[in-house]
Amino acid sequence: MSTSSADIIRGTADMLILKLLDVEPMHGWGIGQELERRSRAALRIQPGALYGALHRLVREGWVRSYWQTTENARRARYYALTRSGKRRLDVETETWHRLAGGVALILATR
Amino acid sequence: MRRIIADVLFRMRALFGTRAQRELDDELRFHLEMDAATLRARGMPAADAERLARRQFGSLRREAEQVRDAWGVSLANEFVADVRHALRQMRRRAGYTAIILLTLGLGIGATVALFSVVSDLLLKPLPYPEADRIHVFWSDYDWRGEEYDFVRQRPGVFQHLAAFSTNGAPYRPNTNGADGARLLPFVVATSTLFDVLGTRPMLGRPFDAAEDRPGAPPVIVISYGMWKTDLGGERRVIGHRIMLDGEPVTVVGVMPRGFYFPTPDIRAWRPLALDPKSPMYTSGYLTLIGRTGAGVPPALIESDVRRIARALGTRFTYPVAWDKTRNPYVLPVRTYLLGDVRDPLVLLLAAATLLLGIACANAASLILARTSDRGGEMAMRRALGAGQWRLARQVLAESLVLAAAAAVLGVAVATAGFRALVAVLPLAHGFAGTVAIGWATFASAFVLALLIALLGSAAPIRRLVGSGAAVSRERSEEGLRRGTRRIHGALIVSQVAFAVLLVVGATLLIRSVDNLRSVDMGFDPHGVSTFTLVTSDNMTQASETRFFDAVLARVSALPGVRAAGLTNRLALRDEGYQGPMGIEGRPDLDGKNRPNSLYRTVTPGLFAAMGMRVIDGRGIDSTDVMGSMPVTVISESFARRMWPGQSAIGKHIYSGWSGKMVALTVVGVARETRMTTVTGDLPFTMFVPRAQQATNSGGVLVVRSSTPPASLMPAVQRAIAEIDPQVAVARVETMDEVVAAALAEPLRLRFFLTVFAAIALVLGTIGVYGVVSYAASRRRAEFAIRMALGATPKRVLGEVVERGLVPVVGGVAIGIGAAVAVSGLLHRFLFGLGATDPVSLGAAAGVLTAAGVVAALVPAVRAGRTSPAEALRAD
Repeated sequence: MSTSSADIIRGTADMLILKLLDVEPMHGWGIGQELERRSRAALRIQPGALYGALHRLVREGWVRSYWQTTENARRARYYALTRSGKRRLDVETETWHRLAGGVALILATR
Repeated sequence: MRRIIADVLFRMRALFGTRAQRELDDELRFHLEMDAATLRARGMPAADAERLARRQFGSLRREAEQVRDAWGVSLANEFVADVRHALRQMRRRAGYTAIILLTLGLGIGATVALFSVVSDLLLKPLPYPEADRIHVFWSDYDWRGEEYDFVRQRPGVFQHLAAFSTNGAPYRPNTNGADGARLLPFVVATSTLFDVLGTRPMLGRPFDAAEDRPGAPPVIVISYGMWKTDLGGERRVIGHRIMLDGEPVTVVGVMPRGFYFPTPDIRAWRPLALDPKSPMYTSGYLTLIGRTGAGVPPALIESDVRRIARALGTRFTYPVAWDKTRNPYVLPVRTYLLGDVRDPLVLLLAAATLLLGIACANAASLILARTSDRGGEMAMRRALGAGQWRLARQVLAESLVLAAAAAVLGVAVATAGFRALVAVLPLAHGFAGTVAIGWATFASAFVLALLIALLGSAAPIRRLVGSGAAVSRERSEEGLRRGTRRIHGALIVSQVAFAVLLVVGATLLIRSVDNLRSVDMGFDPHGVSTFTLVTSDNMTQASETRFFDAVLARVSALPGVRAAGLTNRLALRDEGYQGPMGIEGRPDLDGKNRPNSLYRTVTPGLFAAMGMRVIDGRGIDSTDVMGSMPVTVISESFARRMWPGQSAIGKHIYSGWSGKMVALTVVGVARETRMTTVTGDLPFTMFVPRAQQATNSGGVLVVRSSTPPASLMPAVQRAIAEIDPQVAVARVETMDEVVAAALAEPLRLRFFLTVFAAIALVLGTIGVYGVVSYAASRRRAEFAIRMALGATPKRVLGEVVERGLVPVVGGVAIGIGAAVAVSGLLHRFLFGLGATDPVSLGAAAGVLTAAGVVAALVPAVRAGRTSPAEALRAD
């Protein structure tokens, strides 16, 4: 297993989690797996940071959680995006694009 | 809005639920298992998969903590966690917790109860506006009507002046009622009393100058309590007539609730109605009280009082022993009313404060030792990332939890101890009813506990915050850091010093009470009942004599009665006036030099009833009646001092007691009897036959019986009621009770100080033991190595004891020094020994040092037995 994957840049975890949950509700472990898979192992998140972020998002009211049985008949806590979470995601996504665009412009400087 | 609600919900859940934590644990376990399952799916053996997953994950617990920390669920949550942690710690260390709680609880309880009495009695305003302007003249209960009238014309700085005296008479609430008479304690006063006190009745009016004259229709102002309990508490009471002393008296006013003067047991106020034509006008029985103008400086009052005294000297002549003009002064009314209470209160408050001091030092050293003990745990937690403040907060939380529990215990102690305490104080005359324990007391208990908690955890916290890492290093070092040792030393020194003070106080009082107990009273109190009878002023002397003769005859005939007698005043209880006497054959003792003597009227049976003895001549006889030779029996010291070296029998004493000079022949000398106090000087005493006196003022019936007084008392009271239902039995007491009451103050003070001292001794010993054994246990490894290298157990033992004893000896020295320094406080409570009595000081020093040795010896012996191998393994 790769250990060189970069840890998620601080501050982007919330946005990425929100984005993943925008697709479908997931449990914590699933979010970690999905993050790694979709970023092609470029991104990893430590469980501590992951659950910390999830609980923070719940507290902010952007995510709600509930217990549900998985496909393998195990009980797991699932997280789903709320309406205000959706709005938040839009705001963060826009901010990110602006930021990333800015960074790209600077890096393109010759 | 939703966000806020979600946030609040989340915090609530996190705060109150262990559920949130359990869910988190479940969630993380699920995560871990999923990781392991993935690894297994890739072909890794199950056990390896699990191990790897766990390693990648990190410890589950740490993960959970990290997540929880990241929640940042507010200080409150952490506080709750801290408190839970503290409670767990307390439960695990029940002994330690119990000691601290008991210590603090007792200290807080005693101090708070005492303080609440102090604040009620000494700090609460008196029920008179601007009471600081009210002053009582010197020579209490000794002013004559003519002197008052003289002073009244020269008021000086005093805006109002009044004269009063306490009195009592049988009364019935209704003029037509047939119910039995009871005693009404009241004050007779000039109408100016209400101006002096600045208080008016809440109903009706005060009596006025016109009613304060001889021959005026009798009126009375009653207390709120009397109005409520005896007279129905209705407004139409004004104009109502009660039967007082056999005559109808009209109620003109009701004083407001909470008003008392001079003591709360006084239930009414009547006009004094000074009559220059009455013989009473020239006898001293009044107290003078005055109200100055606003803002008159004390110096001016003083000089004015001296001016009044000088004027008195020009108008009246006084015998030297009785010279009223010699030391004039005024007392603030508060001192006059509560002066007796102050000293024992201050003493007890000081003792309780000492106890609290010991409790604090004890708690602090225990907390400190505990914190150092847990140095390893704390260092570990720091290494894992817990902040200094986090740890400090935890120490604080533990102290706070302890303090809260101690405060609860303290309140319980205070509530239970309050009544006992009030009973200890010489709060005669109903003052006990004016104090109460209240919310302020409980609040102050909590504030006090809080302060103690903060102080107690200050030292450990400073150590944690100042040098967290050092805490862990200390464990492996030679022993305790010097700073810690200094704090421990200081705590021992102060505990021991405080304990010495308390033990000295208790020892002094114990020895003093022993001295009191061995005082020869001159009478035998066992098996003696006393009945104070108040007859109506309207009773003629002849009818009163008939009444008392009948009572004595009836009572003497009761089964078990051995002797019965009558006196005007009971020994050790009733104070009496002393008057100047002329002595035959002593011209040097004439005029202003006449000696004063108590004057007691007795019936022939009194000596036998009291168990007093005649040592020369004869006692008072049934042949000593009106018309026969006037006789007297005098006290031993009186006889010896007046006629040294010769018999007093047949000598004459000239008494002006009944108005004109009468020569009394001394027919007997009585063995010295304690008439006024157990401890004070022995006043000269004369016993004269009641039958030869013009008196109709009631008296005290004294009965000696072979049956227990309790079984006799109802029969005697029945007999009195049958002979004359108008006579009030004001007071029924056994003579044993009278003696006990005379000794009550030192006895009760001794009780409290002994209890305090015992607690202090135990706490001090625990404190020394705790600190020494803690220090010794810290050095176990060192001892083990040294003993392996050849040090003898004796040497190790000696070293431990020595280190423990140095602060003990220091504390004893400081304590003894302090005891000598504050000896003045105790002086007035001691009898037969000084407050710096070397035996008491030595005993206290010895006891504390011995306790210190024992406390240090136990851990020292343990240290001396250290097995090298075991000790090394243990670390």
